[in-house]
Amino acid sequence: MMNKLWIVFGLLILLTGCYDRIELEQQSYVIAMGIDKTENKGVYAFTYQIANPEVGSAAGQGGSNEPASEIVTVHGADILSATYTANSFVSKKITLDHTRIIVISEELARNPDFIRVIQSASRSPQIRRGVQLVVSKEKASEFINNNQPVMEQRPHKYFQFMLDRADQTGIIPAASLHRFFQITEGDADLFLAIYASTKKDKKQEQGKNKLEDEYIAGQIPQLGGSPTQFMGAGVFKEGKMIDTLDGEEVRIVHILDNTLELNNYLTTMPDPFDPEFQLSYNYSQKQNAKVDITYHQDKPTEIDVLVPFQIEVIAIPSLIRYAHDQEKQDALENAITKRLEEKTMEIIKKAQEQYKSDPFYWSLYIRHEFTNIKQYEKADWHKKIFPNAEVNVTYQLDKLEFGKMLDDSNLDRVRD
Amino acid sequence: MQNRGLLRMKEILAMTLIIVGIKFSDSTSSLMSQQAQNGFWLIPLISFVCIFPGFLLMLYLLKKYKDKNLVELIETIIGKWAGKLICLLLFIFAFLTLTLDSRNYVEQIKQLYFQESPTDTVYYIFFIVVLFGAKKGFEVIGFTSWITLLFTKASVLIVFLLITGDMVLQRIFPIFGQGLSILLTEGVKKASIFAELFFLLIAYQSAKSTSMFRKGSIIASIIGLFEILLFFFVYVCVFDYNSIKKIAFPYHDITQFVNLGQFFTNIETFFMVFWLLAAFLKFIIFIYITSWIFGEIFAIRNFEPLLLPFSFLVVMIGLIPLNSVINELVLRETLLTIMSPFFIIFPFILWSIAFFKGDLKQ
Repeated sequence: MMNKLWIVFGLLILLTGCYDRIELEQQSYVIAMGIDKTENKGVYAFTYQIANPEVGSAAGQGGSNEPASEIVTVHGADILSATYTANSFVSKKITLDHTRIIVISEELARNPDFIRVIQSASRSPQIRRGVQLVVSKEKASEFINNNQPVMEQRPHKYFQFMLDRADQTGIIPAASLHRFFQITEGDADLFLAIYASTKKDKKQEQGKNKLEDEYIAGQIPQLGGSPTQFMGAGVFKEGKMIDTLDGEEVRIVHILDNTLELNNYLTTMPDPFDPEFQLSYNYSQKQNAKVDITYHQDKPTEIDVLVPFQIEVIAIPSLIRYAHDQEKQDALENAITKRLEEKTMEIIKKAQEQYKSDPFYWSLYIRHEFTNIKQYEKADWHKKIFPNAEVNVTYQLDKLEFGKMLDDSNLDRVRD
Repeated sequence: MQNRGLLRMKEILAMTLIIVGIKFSDSTSSLMSQQAQNGFWLIPLISFVCIFPGFLLMLYLLKKYKDKNLVELIETIIGKWAGKLICLLLFIFAFLTLTLDSRNYVEQIKQLYFQESPTDTVYYIFFIVVLFGAKKGFEVIGFTSWITLLFTKASVLIVFLLITGDMVLQRIFPIFGQGLSILLTEGVKKASIFAELFFLLIAYQSAKSTSMFRKGSIIASIIGLFEILLFFFVYVCVFDYNSIKKIAFPYHDITQFVNLGQFFTNIETFFMVFWLLAAFLKFIIFIYITSWIFGEIFAIRNFEPLLLPFSFLVVMIGLIPLNSVINELVLRETLLTIMSPFFIIFPFILWSIAFFKGDLKQ
């Protein structure tokens, strides 16, 4: 008798584990969340894109007529309480564990109140620190509704692949919530959020003359495909967006910021010997940039940056025979280095004069000059040190390759 | 009492490591970073330097007075009644540490994995499991600790390896955080984060030979210190100086943050299992030695029936603080500040009394 009672008692204890039990089919997983301003202060419009787990899975044969996701918009004061309002017409429990991106409209991002609404994201255990922050040119709800990926129906995979790929090529920054809080609370540098748009910019027509990465989202002339473009970055200073950077500028930021990862990217430049043609090359970096800061209390701080890089020339439409000519190679090397240095100095100048702070996370390199936080904060990186600093950037070419072809076909011989 | 003195060095080592070393994964780090900010990872080192000589001195005294445990030692040196009073104080310290720590762990489990369940329920279930574990006796606890040690440490190692990519080493600068003086005072004030080492001395005779106990506990405390320092260092490098003090459970934040490639993205539950295992073991050991101290003071040879009322008391008292912030930042901080001078100074008083009595000359 006693033994049976123990078994019953034991089972009862096991059952308490079901307190938080919730079936998979009773939950709806939010993949993307959008936040917009409304006319009322303190009230925001939250858009949730809820994934349909049956789409794209082998088990989902029966449910193939259902759409890949459901999109709802509600008003609320913060991220979590709005989910409860949304539950008044979403049948399942809204879960934020799998959220991949938070989309903020540019209008809200430029508002000083933005930091209030995003703060609640860090308090909730449901939202992960790895969630990416995306600024959309249009309203966030519009962005999520317009985003109709053609080839990848499952929204969680779509965002993951899209962001991973763009991140590797450096045209958008890695912009996790974690990084946002680290930089904003550190109060010294600029945070870059991913810039995206589903709307065509008026400038798109002018954009046709531009090179491949000098765009921000919405400006890339494209025919067909999904209307969503991820390109460039929104610049945040002290938790408020102040400007945008185009894809090329973001790449340079990637080169200079060692906490961001950059694999390689393809780009073009006018051929030094025949500027009518564009020469394209693959830029890659095997080593981090070396940032060397000499701090002076009473005169401008010196910042010396050395960037080792490698180039693989992919296409030479001008058919100039670089591979066999050392002098031409040297000239090419100089041209590439000079071009990179000029572009880099442009953005550094912009940061010093316009933003009065740096997007490269360089305040990290000055910290060891101080023994405690009070001294460090008094020295004031983004008001006193960086805007007045003397910055020197040197690019150093480690390797110049010419792909798998030794030489291009000789035009004169082909057309004899 | 199921203790026939069969434990070996590895079991003592495992138990010490679990009860001391697991501190890197609870709120101790946020407690320390409140004042010192990014310099806080150096605090355990200062604390250890303050408290370790006293611990070695206690081991030395125990060696000199053969065949005694902590309570018997104190009673022999400073007399029966004064000794009992001191030991009672020691018991109260152990009991309160146990209570406040356990509330902290229950709060973590609830906040992160069982948001709907009430704290009371989680607390009760947690202690029912702890009670069943503790009932098995000290040797079973020792063996279990040793067997599971490898798994718990392996999971910690995986977390560490996965997070290294997100560490920014320059964040440890400015090296002294809010200032060297703050680090030093905090280090002394929080020295009692290693107080469990002293409570464990009650089990001095549980090992096959006392030299095994000495070696095991000394090696474990050094490894434990290293582990705490390493993870606190990781927290500083991952979070920045202003953010670190806002984060209540950095270990869990990190397990949520890391992913294993593109397909394993939400993997924190994997780490939670091993963390939970270590947490159970910690409190199993803790409640056992607390009851043991009480049993020794009041000469209750068979103290294991005390485990049930003590577990009940822990839950009842542990539920009193209104929320985890008060529990951690006010109550636990006060307790640590009160305990620290006691554990730093007391061994030396004990030693000088023994010295002047002439007991140490034999």
